[in-house]
Amino acid sequence: MSRLPDCIVVGGGVIGCAVTYELAKRSIPVLLVDQSLPGRATSASAGGLWPIGEAVGLGCGVIFHASNASSGSSANGQVHGPDALPAVFRDFLVRSNACFPELAAELQALSSIDIEYAPGAGLIFVIEAESQRAFVEHVTRSLPPSVDYEVLSPEAVARLEPNLSRDIVGGVLLSGEHQVNPMLLAEAFKRAAIKLGARFRPHLAVTGIRRQGDRVVGVEAGDEFLPGGAVVNAAGAWAAKLAATAGMELPVFPVRGQIVLTETMPQTLNACLSTSSCYLLQKAHGEVLIGSTTEHCGFDVGVTPEGIHSLCRGAVRTLPILSRVGIKRVWSGLRPGTSDELPILGPAGGLDGYFNATGGFRTGIVASPLTGRVVAEWVSGESPCCDREAFLADRFGPQFTGTRDTGSQDTGTQGRNAATSHNAAT
Amino acid sequence: MIRHRLVIVGAGPAGMAAAIAAADAGLEPVLIDENPRIGGQIYRQPPATLISKETEPTNRAARRGAELLRRFQVQSSRMTVLTNTRVWTIFGHRQLGVQGNQGRETIEAEQLILAPGAYEYVPPFPGWTLPGVMTPGGAQQMVKTMGVCPGKRVLIAGTGPFLLVVAEQLQKAGMEVVGVVEAITTAEAIRAFPRLLEHPTLLGEGLGYLNRLRRARVPINRGEVVVEARGDAEVREVVVAKCDPQWRGDPSGQRTFVVDTLAIAYGFVPRAQLPQLAGCRMRFVNELGGWIPETDGNQQTSVPGVWVAGDGGGVAGALVAEDEGTLAGLAASHQLGALDSATFERAQRPVVRRLHRLRRFRAVLDQLSRIRPGLTTIPTPDTIVCRCEELTQAEVETGIDFGGTDLRTLKVMTRLGMGACQGCMCWPAAARWIAARSGKSIEEIGPLSVRPPLGPLSVGDLARQEGISDRTPAVSLGSSEGAPT
Repeated sequence: MSRLPDCIVVGGGVIGCAVTYELAKRSIPVLLVDQSLPGRATSASAGGLWPIGEAVGLGCGVIFHASNASSGSSANGQVHGPDALPAVFRDFLVRSNACFPELAAELQALSSIDIEYAPGAGLIFVIEAESQRAFVEHVTRSLPPSVDYEVLSPEAVARLEPNLSRDIVGGVLLSGEHQVNPMLLAEAFKRAAIKLGARFRPHLAVTGIRRQGDRVVGVEAGDEFLPGGAVVNAAGAWAAKLAATAGMELPVFPVRGQIVLTETMPQTLNACLSTSSCYLLQKAHGEVLIGSTTEHCGFDVGVTPEGIHSLCRGAVRTLPILSRVGIKRVWSGLRPGTSDELPILGPAGGLDGYFNATGGFRTGIVASPLTGRVVAEWVSGESPCCDREAFLADRFGPQFTGTRDTGSQDTGTQGRNAATSHNAAT
Repeated sequence: MIRHRLVIVGAGPAGMAAAIAAADAGLEPVLIDENPRIGGQIYRQPPATLISKETEPTNRAARRGAELLRRFQVQSSRMTVLTNTRVWTIFGHRQLGVQGNQGRETIEAEQLILAPGAYEYVPPFPGWTLPGVMTPGGAQQMVKTMGVCPGKRVLIAGTGPFLLVVAEQLQKAGMEVVGVVEAITTAEAIRAFPRLLEHPTLLGEGLGYLNRLRRARVPINRGEVVVEARGDAEVREVVVAKCDPQWRGDPSGQRTFVVDTLAIAYGFVPRAQLPQLAGCRMRFVNELGGWIPETDGNQQTSVPGVWVAGDGGGVAGALVAEDEGTLAGLAASHQLGALDSATFERAQRPVVRRLHRLRRFRAVLDQLSRIRPGLTTIPTPDTIVCRCEELTQAEVETGIDFGGTDLRTLKVMTRLGMGACQGCMCWPAAARWIAARSGKSIEEIGPLSVRPPLGPLSVGDLARQEGISDRTPAVSLGSSEGAPT
C-alpha cells in the first residue's frame, strides 16, 4: 500500500466520529474538525436502533401514516402500503445494528464511556384503530423470513406495557430493535479515536474545501489552512454547503425534528413504542422521550407550539400516565435528508480525495457503525465489506459522479419519490 | 394566538417602570409575572395579613418602592396584569409560550420588554445541601411573604450589600444574627471608599445599615469565606476561613459558628434564559454577574423589538432597574408610534443622566464584589456540585479531564445541567472550573444552551388546546427560579 494521505473529517456528529474512529483503527492519520453548531441531528436523536422499523416505515409511525395517507389505497380495496426502503439499505441497517453489542464493549474499553446500549423488549408498533390493521399486515407480510416479529393482541400489548392506553387494538413487536444514548455514542467514537491517535479540533468552522484541479488538498478554516490528502464531508444537514465550496452540488437538505423529554420517571416502558403521531421510549436515566416531527423549514432549529402540542397530545393518548408528568426540555435538530431517504456515501464529483458521509436522515445512529467502516474503506482503498454502490451520490444524476467500484454490478437503486409526503408533523 | 402591541415580562422594578412609562404614553401594556403578586423580589407586597412594620426596612429604597407601587396603581387600569403566569419559552423572537390560570396560550408581542431579574449565586461548598442552608433572598422571602423565621440563630455570608439588608430584616424579625461574613477584605473596601463618595446618598444608605447592625451588636467580618457547613439532619455549625484577595480560604485561619441557619450567596446571576431564547446576542461580564444580552443606549437587544431592563440585563440593583425599565418603556412606546421623537427625547434625557451617575457608582461596587476564582477551590472531591443529578466535584473534574472543556460536552459526559434547574445552579461554577482546568476563558466556554420549558410544565399542559384551563399541575422536581432553600 502506498503512503496513506492525511485525512480530514469535517463534522463531529455521530457519523463523523464513527468515520474518524474507523480511520484511526486503520492507523490512517486523521483530524476531526467540529464546529459544534446547534441543532445537529445527533443531539436531537432518540437513539432508537430500529433497522427494520425504519426500513419499513414502522419505526416512526408518523412516517408510516403519512405514506399510508398519500398512497390513496382503500378506494379499490387494494393496499399499497408505505414505501419501504430498498432491501440493500434494510440489510445495511440490520448489519450495522448487529455491531452494537460488540461495539459497546469495544468503546467502553477504549473510551471509558458507556453508550447505554439497552436491549429492552423491542419496538412495538401500536395499532390504534382497526382501520390501520390492513396496512400493518401488508407491511409485515413483505418482511423477509429472517425478521423476528410478532403480531400482538390488545391483551398481549397490555401485558408487555401495562401503562399503555386500553383503547389500542393491537400491535406488532419487533423484538430485535433496541436503543442507545446517541450523544454518548458519538462522544465514545470520538474519545476512542483520539485514544488510537486521531486528532481533534473542536469549535473550528471549516469555511471551504480547497482543491487543486481534480484533487482535494485540504480545508480552509477562516484564515487557517489545514492540508490533507482526503476530506470526508460528514457535515450532516450542512453537508451541501460544504460541498458547494468545492464546486459540487450535493442533494442533502435539513429535515427538522422536534422532540420532548420528560422528567425522570420510574420504570414506565419496557419497549420502544411507535404510534401514528409520535414515538416513545424511556431512556437509561428514566426520562421518556417523545419524538418527532418531520419538517422542511431550512436551518431553523426552534420549536413550534403546533409541533410540540401534537407530540404531547399523541403521547398522552397512548400513555395517559404522562399527562401529569413534568417536561424537562423540548428542542429540535436537523436531520440530513435526501430525496430517497438513503445516505450519500463515498467519492463524488470526480474529485480525487473527496468522500461523502452524510444523508443519514432518520437512521444515522443505527447506521453509524457500518457507515464508519464503509467510508474508511473507501478512503483507505480497501476492498469493501458490504454492498455500498447504492449509496453513491451519482444515483441522483451524472453531475454527482463518483468512482464506482470496477467490475461490480450496479444495483440501480431507484429513488423513492415519496419523500415529499413525509412532511408530516400533523 | 393572541397579539399584543407591548408585552413586558417580569413585574419587578424594571418591568413596573416600563409598564408605567408605556401607559403614560397611552399604550395598554400587558405585564406578565410568575408570582402571585407584583413588585419583584425587592418590592413584592406581603399578603395583607402579614404586613408588619418591624420587618419593613425604613430606608430610602423602600420609600422609592412604595412610590413606584403607587404610580403603578394609578396606571393599572390601563394595563393587563397577568400574575401567576409563566413564560415558559419564546418561539421565534417575540412569540411567548405562556402558561397560567387561563391555561396555555401563545402571545405574539409587537414589542417585547424582558425584565426577568436575577437569582442568587451559591457556589458549592461542603455541606451546602444540608437543610438550613439557604440563600439570603430565600430567608428574606420566608420572613416577608410567609411571616416565618427560618430558624433561631443565623449566619449570613457571601458578598454584597444585600447581605446587610437581609441581616437587618432577619434581626428585626426576631432571629439572632451571629454575624455577617463578607469575602471582600477590609483593605479592599477602604481602597474603594473614595470612589463610592461619587454617590453620597447611596453610600450613606449602606453606612446606615452598617451602623444599625453595629448598634444591634451584629459582628461584621470581612475577608472571610464559608468553607464548610456541618450537621447530620440539618446544619449545626458553619466553618469560616480567612481568605486572600482571590477568595481562597486559608486552612490555618478557621473558626466555627454554632447556628441552625446559614444564609449564603455571592451576589446575583442575571436570569438570561428569556433573552437567550429570544435569540439575543449575549456577552459575558463577570462584574455584572455573567452572561447578559448586548444592548444599545435604549436597552434594545440585538433583536429589533426586544428590550431588556433590570438585573436580567446585568445585575445593578433596583434603582438602576427602575431607570432602565423607564427607558425601555419610553423607547418601545416611541417605536410603536405612541410617542413622537421630541417627547421621547425630552422624557428620556433626565433618565439617561441619572442612570449614568448610578452606573458609575455601581461600577465600583461591581468591581469590588466580582466573583473571584478562589471560590472554585472550596469544594472537596465528594462535594455534590450538581444537585439535580447528584454529581460530585470529582465526577465533574473527571469529565473535564476527559475533554468536557465546553459546557455542551461536559453535559453529555456527566449529565451536569440536565436536571430540573437546567443548569442555572451549576453552570456558573462549572464554567469557572473548566476555565481553571483548561486555561480557557469563560467567554470561550460559552453560555449553557437554554432548552424550554422554563419552570414546571406537564406533558398534559402541552397536550391541551390553547386557552383550555383544565389544568393538572406538573409534578416537578424543582424550578428554575431562585436558589437552594
